[in-house]
Amino acid sequence: MTAPFFKFGYFNDEVSLIVAFVIGIFFGLVLEKGGFGSARMLAAQFYFTDMRVFKVMFSAIVTAMIGLFYFSWIGILDLTLVYYGDTYLIPQLLGGLILGFGFVIGGYCPGTSAVAISTGRIDAIFYALGGMFGIFVFGEMFPYITDFFYSTAMGRLNLPTFLGINYGFIMLVVIFMAIGGFTAAEWAEKYMAGKQSKSRG
Amino acid sequence: MILKSFAELPARKRLGIIAVLLGVISIFAGDPTNNASTMVNIKEISLLTKDNISSIQVDNLADWIIKGRYDYRLVDLRNEEKFLKYRIPSAENIPVNQLLESDLAKNEKIILYSDNDIESSQAWFILTSNKYKGVNVLQGGIENWKQKILFPVCVCGENPTPEQLHKHDKVAEISKFFGGKIQTDKIATSSKKLEMPEIALPATINLKKTSGKKKREGC
Repeated sequence: MTAPFFKFGYFNDEVSLIVAFVIGIFFGLVLEKGGFGSARMLAAQFYFTDMRVFKVMFSAIVTAMIGLFYFSWIGILDLTLVYYGDTYLIPQLLGGLILGFGFVIGGYCPGTSAVAISTGRIDAIFYALGGMFGIFVFGEMFPYITDFFYSTAMGRLNLPTFLGINYGFIMLVVIFMAIGGFTAAEWAEKYMAGKQSKSRG
Repeated sequence: MILKSFAELPARKRLGIIAVLLGVISIFAGDPTNNASTMVNIKEISLLTKDNISSIQVDNLADWIIKGRYDYRLVDLRNEEKFLKYRIPSAENIPVNQLLESDLAKNEKIILYSDNDIESSQAWFILTSNKYKGVNVLQGGIENWKQKILFPVCVCGENPTPEQLHKHDKVAEISKFFGGKIQTDKIATSSKKLEMPEIALPATINLKKTSGKKKREGC
């Protein structure tokens, strides 16, 4: 058996929904345990007071990256079939900025707002409604921004092919980024804690 | 000694060290997506051949080209010379030994053709054993295309029925679309050498890709 199982037709569309449901439950559970279900916790990332979400996120990225690389290397996963979207540089930069603004203002990203709704947080319900309204506005606007939406298309792109650098080297760089990030986060937490206790006098 | 001091480190430091080690090894591990040797599940492949599902009939392909359906990649496996002389519209030229380096994607529908079915079948096996999912062979290859699509022989007798006439018109139209001609005289066709049509005419109409609805994935 080779992963991804769905792409290789080990199960059909209907079964894929069940699989998605089960994985989704566990994903939500892990997000909630990781503190992603709290707007306070998420917003704390941007004020450097509690970097738990950042650390969870980056550990997840590094773990998944190492796992995918070595599974593919052994041959039980076909990395070329793992989906990632095409690159549209400028539209995606702008979209990322808008998402970031929404993230820091509302305290959620689309996925974590769903997690927060399940624990009954009212702010998350409004956040999700806002998101849906945004989808509606985007859909209505789409005919006018279609050209921009598809501009600076670069196709299916990843860092190793874009930079022409060895896969493994990119991995090592990301791993060092993670370790550097963790160290900086720990330091920032201590610094902010000291600053807060000082201001409280 | 090293192991003991490693075990005494806090968990996060141990994980960090393991991550860095795996990263360093990965530099020498090479490209994970480019494996020259592959595991072949013989049973899986032999089951695929059972129902003859991976063969495409020439009239189906002709129909798709006319309708502008482009959810597949048509691959001409012959040499460049033959490809330049005549090709089925929308085909691209990829020799068998370069298939794996080509930009064909593993989840694309691929239709292979060549002079005969042997080469196409070899290509089919190479691709299928490398986990390409939708590999098909155009049955009978270019010869069959020539006989059934470009220069089909008229089946009408002395007094054709309306049904036969309707079929005749349809076949004639398809053959005209691709620059061929229906053959009314059976004896004449066997002696006369049929010239392949110029590729420029039908090929240009079909070279542009219709932007079909792409299946969206992701979060």
